[in-house]
Amino acid sequence: MLYRLIQKLDQSVQIESVDAHCDIPCGIYDPHQAQIGALTVIRMVDLIESMVKEHGKGDTAEFINSMARYIAVKEEHAELTKHEIRVIWGDFIKEANLEEYPQLNGLVHKIMTLGSKARQTVDRETAVALLEAVNEFAEIFWQIKGKETKRVKAPYAPAEEVVYPVL
Amino acid sequence: MMLRLLKVRGHSLFPDFRDGDYILAAGTPFPSGKIRAGDVIVFRQPGYGLLVKRVHQVLEDGLSFIVCGTQVESTDSRNFGPVHSDQVDGKVIWHIRQNQYRKETMRT
Repeated sequence: MLYRLIQKLDQSVQIESVDAHCDIPCGIYDPHQAQIGALTVIRMVDLIESMVKEHGKGDTAEFINSMARYIAVKEEHAELTKHEIRVIWGDFIKEANLEEYPQLNGLVHKIMTLGSKARQTVDRETAVALLEAVNEFAEIFWQIKGKETKRVKAPYAPAEEVVYPVL
Repeated sequence: MMLRLLKVRGHSLFPDFRDGDYILAAGTPFPSGKIRAGDVIVFRQPGYGLLVKRVHQVLEDGLSFIVCGTQVESTDSRNFGPVHSDQVDGKVIWHIRQNQYRKETMRT
């Protein structure tokens, strides 16, 4: 009753709001997309390398078209990986977490540089290093959330190891 | 004592305070004096505006407070440090919840 009365009053005089602020979307943070991004980068490197191996010089329109698509996806997913990690690091990670995990800032920086290097090069080693750094980040993330993790091979190419929470 | 009726926006104090709840905040001098741990205060935080949070801890000087929300994602003293008494606009003395026709009087 009282709530409704005040709500009516609010509709006519606009009661001032006070923020019980949270970042939106509240609570929905998950490094999964970053991991998928890093896996995709490895997959694109594999596809690019096998395309070159099979088609040699590659002067056909089909070769150029496929190659352009692989490169575009590699670019996009390396950037997606960087973006997702930045959001979790900036919005979810708190000062106390940085104190508890002093390696976290360095790890995030490593992911940023590896993500950029993965865009600039066609280097499987770099792409795998990017995934490994993201996996390490995911392990810390789930530890902060109080969840255990496990490492399993992705059930699809490139079948590299990925960290999953045990829910 | 000045009283202000305010509307809660956001989920940082969920489930104690829900988005859309109304609160009545009493300005200084507070009816019961000092701010204590457990009080819910309304304060101005540069860069964030007018915020409502629960006092987690009163620092030794008695004039600064560590405030917190209930969510990991809450923006609170972990982000902006202690809140000084100069920033405090009021203490919440009445909470009008939605979908419940009961009022809850809080310690003042």
